Amino acid sequence: MLGIMNRAAPDPTDLLQDALNAAPGGFVELRWHKKQTRGISVEKGRVDNATASEHSGVGVRVLEQGTFGFASTDRLEKGAVVRAIGEARAAARASSRARRERVPDFPAVTLARGRFDAPGVDATLARPIESALEMLLEVERGARAGSSRVTSASTAYAEIYEEKGIVTSDGAKVWTRAIRPEFRVIAIAAKAGEMQRGAEAVGVTGGWECLFESKSPAQLAEKAAKQAVYLLDAGYPEGGRTQVLLSPALVGLLTHEAVGHTVEADFVASGSCAAGRLGTRVASDLVTLCDSGASEYHDGAGGTLAVDDEGVATQRTTVIENGFLRSYLHDRESAARSGVAPTGNARAWEYDDEPLIRMRNTYIAPGTSKLDEMIAGTDDGYLLDGASNGQADANGEFMFGTREAYRIVRGKKGPLLRGVNISGSAFDVLQTVDAVGSEFRWDLGSGHCGKGQPAKVDAGGPWLRCEVVLGGRKA
Amino acid sequence: MSTTTTGRGRTADTLSQREREEELLARCETLVAEALRAGADEAEAFATHAQKSAATFEKGDLKLAHVDEGSTIGLRVFRQNRLGFAATNQFDAAALAAAARNAVALASASPADPANRLPDARPIVELPSLVHPGIARLGIDEAVDLGHTLLTRAQKFDTRISVDGANASTSRVSQAIHTSRGVRAVESDAMVSLSISGMALEGADVGGFHYGSDAIRDPVLLESALARLADDFARTSVGNLAAQRAPTSYQGLVLFSPDAVLDLFVAPVLAASSAIAVQRGRSALGKRLGERIGAPGLSIHDRPGDAELAGAASFDREGQPARLFALVEDGWLRGWMYNGYAAAVENRASTGHARGGARGAPGLGAHAVCVAGGTGGSREDLLAALGRGLLVQRFSGSVDPASGDFSGVAKSSRWVEGGRETGPVRETLLSGNAYQLLARIVALGNASERVDGSARSPWALVDGLTVTAG
Repeated sequence: MLGIMNRAAPDPTDLLQDALNAAPGGFVELRWHKKQTRGISVEKGRVDNATASEHSGVGVRVLEQGTFGFASTDRLEKGAVVRAIGEARAAARASSRARRERVPDFPAVTLARGRFDAPGVDATLARPIESALEMLLEVERGARAGSSRVTSASTAYAEIYEEKGIVTSDGAKVWTRAIRPEFRVIAIAAKAGEMQRGAEAVGVTGGWECLFESKSPAQLAEKAAKQAVYLLDAGYPEGGRTQVLLSPALVGLLTHEAVGHTVEADFVASGSCAAGRLGTRVASDLVTLCDSGASEYHDGAGGTLAVDDEGVATQRTTVIENGFLRSYLHDRESAARSGVAPTGNARAWEYDDEPLIRMRNTYIAPGTSKLDEMIAGTDDGYLLDGASNGQADANGEFMFGTREAYRIVRGKKGPLLRGVNISGSAFDVLQTVDAVGSEFRWDLGSGHCGKGQPAKVDAGGPWLRCEVVLGGRKA
Repeated sequence: MSTTTTGRGRTADTLSQREREEELLARCETLVAEALRAGADEAEAFATHAQKSAATFEKGDLKLAHVDEGSTIGLRVFRQNRLGFAATNQFDAAALAAAARNAVALASASPADPANRLPDARPIVELPSLVHPGIARLGIDEAVDLGHTLLTRAQKFDTRISVDGANASTSRVSQAIHTSRGVRAVESDAMVSLSISGMALEGADVGGFHYGSDAIRDPVLLESALARLADDFARTSVGNLAAQRAPTSYQGLVLFSPDAVLDLFVAPVLAASSAIAVQRGRSALGKRLGERIGAPGLSIHDRPGDAELAGAASFDREGQPARLFALVEDGWLRGWMYNGYAAAVENRASTGHARGGARGAPGLGAHAVCVAGGTGGSREDLLAALGRGLLVQRFSGSVDPASGDFSGVAKSSRWVEGGRETGPVRETLLSGNAYQLLARIVALGNASERVDGSARSPWALVDGLTVTAG
């Protein structure tokens, strides 16, 4: 068994507290953040990557002269942390002349104290990396063996193990640990000079068993290979505005890209389409949308965290309740400006990154409809599945990719068509929701959300019917 | 110049550039030796050191001043042609020894591959220094001033501008490589990076989001680059107000900005020109080397010697010389990009296209992509040639590198009638196949423009797109 890293550090919070006590004055936030990653990738029987890495240090954020300063040190030593506090203060002082509106002192809030461990940490750390390598090689072989049309396949496993110690001058003192493994398989199929790609990915906060709870690696590989092969013979959907049934993965993209970003309080302050709309109707009354630090409904959501990077215990934030906009997502600064409690959405990717307002696990709550009934009740539209990438603008206009499409005509589902990108305006689309499924699934736990820094998030929901614009091949 | 160094090798004060480079090389040598002692047959250490000062603005105001300095070292080892890699930002002896053990342990668990071997040392033609003293001296004060100037210039351009985020950063980066096969190289770089994002607001109308960025090494160009970035951002953002649905869906001509050309057409060509993609049977262009894949006039080069582009470098991630490389010339597909691994598969020399940083094993990619200007004239000439249809400034979507199929949203796009822009359009989707459309480039603008400080491309008029009005 390989002793690849995974040396659990001792509780760093006492050392951080000592450093903070040695440099008193004003608001100071110290965050020890140790990140260890293990990753392996395999393509066509060859190991392209077998990596173990560590990136650890202490990030220091101060509020001085009404503005923030940030500095970091890669050493968990009292002297180094005290020096970094001084550097952060100097940076704040040097920049305060450019600050037009001073940041007020944070109001007192209840901050987290104690130790918080996400599930699966010890079991996953104890698992030898050889087992992941063997699995990747076997599954990759299997993906290629499924069809003579599959010309290439690749598999990858990665896990991020994080320890954080957070101490603030106003009372937070927490030590957290979490592990987030993910698995990805890609198959390329070819016919007559044309290529198509099938892909499946899963990612969780938790252990190996949680990662493959729904589908085994071999099942995921088989699905990716079949998708690539079937897409070779698939046609294109027609473009235009149409009714669609979105799978839980796509509902996840919709909630994350189209709504979640627009209700992040920093985007709201910049004039996003959610600004000034609290208390107003933004969706059909079938829609209740939340962002939670917990893994609601099912274990393992990829963005699960107990405490955010400002030391605020996370909670479930109801963003839209039965169609009405109820809350934005806040860090401590935006919450103070809005006169509300912080929602635990401040997150930093690594120790040398400052916390930003980020989502955790974002979802639409399940309704009562069965998928079969939703298909049968659709006269003319598409069923869409398989999440690809997605982006959204502050004005709510979103785009995201789908891997598979099926035409529905008079309640009957047709053959597979190639996936397309869909677009719309977030709140306009949510107003068109006329059916919400009863089965819930997290389905966006692999990969990252990008907002200057990456973040591990998850999103999901039930099947949902709404209207979007489809970027089909025939105009 | 103070050169105080802590017992763990981390500087407590500023080292000279030369001293920094020597320190990085010494760390690489130490780690390579450690890896060989731990059982590696071959070892390569790649280290970076970065000093950065950044000012971040949000909601039109300063958000944060950020100062940072740190190093990372990555170790690639081969043991009986088996690969292992480890990286750390901790430089004490125990951490380096652990990194060496981890890399060797991973290699021991991996299957053998005969192409897993390090490239030999080859002569490197050094670029003129990428560190201009006028940029290298800039710190947090100057970053704050630059960010503030960028922000206020955009806001003064039009009162309807809402800057969501602006960032100005100064960075000094050194990188060094040492391998057991005699590769030994070091290079430093100093740059100012600027970015701005946001939209225009008018009453209840929220204009489409827009962003821009640049990276500058020459202090003489800094002021004009900042002004151009602020003005272009503001002009486009205001132009996004009052967007309407496109008058019609159609199939035909679309005019693309240099940014959109790079995202939609050049990125898939780069992915398909990876020698590894070709060797593994996942390149859509894999059987077309030497064939015409694009319209006459389409030329795509990698120019690592172009110091005006962020990716300029004398050597690649494996210490191999980086040099001018033709991917496509006058529409003809000329060559694949090789890193050390891909070259070893075919028993040939690398083309100097190993890419990446110290935290991961070398990948494969281009340094500084340049699409040559054509004969299509100015932007106005291309608008006239378009006549009626869509002008796309940004593409928000995905291109499947295997098939070339894409669909996505045309951002900051404009409707064109009679060769003149009539207004912004929204919720307009584009779809097509990137590889097929390369041959349907009708015209390339004369000027190849810098894009985000990292690439160059002209405007392009392309036929055969499917445009779906929202």
